Amino acid sequence: MMQEVLRLQNLQKSFGSVRALKNASLTLKEGEVVALLGDNGAGKSTLIKAISGVFPIDRGDIYVRGEKVSIRSTREAMDLGIETIHQDTSLAPDLSIARNLFLGREPVNLKWLGVFAPLDLAKLRDAASALLKRVGISKKLDADALVSTLSGGERQSIAISRAMQFAAKVIILDEPTNNLGVEETHGVLRFVKEMRAAGHSVLLITHNIHHVFEVADRIIVMRRGEIVAEQTVADTDLLTVESLITGADLSALMKRAQ
Amino acid sequence: MVQQVMVQQVGAVTSEDGAGRAKGRSSLMRSPQFSSFVILIVLLVVFALADGNFLSPLNISNMMAFLPELGIIALGMTLLLTAGEFDLSVGAVFALAPVVVMLLVQNAGVDIGVALLAGLLLCIAIGAINGVIVTKIGISSFLVTLSMLLIVRGAALYITQGFPLKSWDQPGFFVTLLAGSFNIGAFRFYTSLWWFIGLSLLAVYVLRYAKLGNWISAIGSNRNAAVARGVPADAVKIWLFILTSLLAGLAGMISAFRISAASPVAGTGYELEVIAMVVVGGTALTGGRGTILGTIVGALMLRAIRNGIVLVGVPGLAYNIFVGVIILAMLILHALLQKNATRS
Repeated sequence: MMQEVLRLQNLQKSFGSVRALKNASLTLKEGEVVALLGDNGAGKSTLIKAISGVFPIDRGDIYVRGEKVSIRSTREAMDLGIETIHQDTSLAPDLSIARNLFLGREPVNLKWLGVFAPLDLAKLRDAASALLKRVGISKKLDADALVSTLSGGERQSIAISRAMQFAAKVIILDEPTNNLGVEETHGVLRFVKEMRAAGHSVLLITHNIHHVFEVADRIIVMRRGEIVAEQTVADTDLLTVESLITGADLSALMKRAQ
Repeated sequence: MVQQVMVQQVGAVTSEDGAGRAKGRSSLMRSPQFSSFVILIVLLVVFALADGNFLSPLNISNMMAFLPELGIIALGMTLLLTAGEFDLSVGAVFALAPVVVMLLVQNAGVDIGVALLAGLLLCIAIGAINGVIVTKIGISSFLVTLSMLLIVRGAALYITQGFPLKSWDQPGFFVTLLAGSFNIGAFRFYTSLWWFIGLSLLAVYVLRYAKLGNWISAIGSNRNAAVARGVPADAVKIWLFILTSLLAGLAGMISAFRISAASPVAGTGYELEVIAMVVVGGTALTGGRGTILGTIVGALMLRAIRNGIVLVGVPGLAYNIFVGVIILAMLILHALLQKNATRS
């Protein structure tokens, strides 16, 4: 039996009179890829923002490895081993790859100088190169290259490798294949599989159901702030999932059409 | 492929906040600081050839007396711009700080040291207000600091009733510290030059080598990314607004002591002159890419242009045309270099 890594219980979140998250509960196990699906406005973003510490939840409990936690900031989420990779906002384009990889967790000398402490540039560079090599993209990329010189897929790979590097227990990917070319998309999906193989748990938010069937173990569907279905990929099919997302019974419609 | 590698190498050193390692001559020569530097040299040569007095000890001394005052403000502005904000109230703070100091000394009989401290505290307060409104209420720094410019300039005019004050001119520790002068050969320099050099070294260190510099560049480059990594973006910005205001006040005090007068209209237009220095040096107005060395080159360049154009006999009223054209040419050059170096 795989160990439980993250458990959400009855999460609720309102913005004014809008109940963005009504009563969401889900469990994520070790080395599992769970796809979070739902139409725009279904509450997916609210859910992942709550887990990654962007804003606090109104009600409900979050457990990490069985222990109840409260997540009040992105920093706290990261310290708990929850890394989130947002669509296009994860990297600073004017910084080098190495500096992006360690942003917020810079290796420094003379630590007592606080924010004025000098970066340990040699360590920064070596660690970045080692990381790029480990994730298999060192041949193409130089740790000193600016992120603005990279393609969308390369940037996504950097963001994902950064999450893996800090041995995150849970990696949340928010639309990781948005705006990517075919080849780059496959690269990212391969990464997701590697993450699972390395024992990370992945929560994948996407609109592309084909990708879900390619990499996910389990599917969770949200609609209007609630989790309406949970299925293992092996036990379901594309049409069923699409019906769950839209709320209309597509397979019945299809049968009628035939 | 070769081209791709080249592009990445150029990218790696186009800003000081990059990895900071020059990898080859071609990349160094295409960095914005370097192109600004070359143009500075060209300008100096042209002015020197056009007028023999340009490089005379007297003229250089004059330029060097004036340079640090704007340069010191430009250092703060560079850091602030790199974090993605700017401050239009620096010229007004430049005037208000010494005016308040002199009023305290002359009208309230406060000790000069205490008065200077009070002046600097006032600058800190102005910067903190700018920073808090920009970050916590979310109004653009353009609007906030434009309003602050009016408030601060208005305050300076009102409390002096529009008249310049005679500044502190009794020799002593503070005069020596802020506006003392010394001779090296035929050149006469002010202590403000040491301030400028010292603060420049500190700023280079912070932006290029310190953890804080990494944060500043990241915030200006992609604030959300920085925040998502746990960087306290608002706090960093507020401190940078405070620093910029503080440096503007310090520069104002240095200037007032040097010319023995504190005028409520001093520093009018300095905000734009300073921003011009910074962007001409290669710092991006949109944030993320900042270079202190570039700012020093930019400060030298604008002073040299203003001084040289007068010397070579351009009519006084036409001279802003030349200044504007040269700034615009520099910005076009940076834009073209940037376009070649990145992929969006």
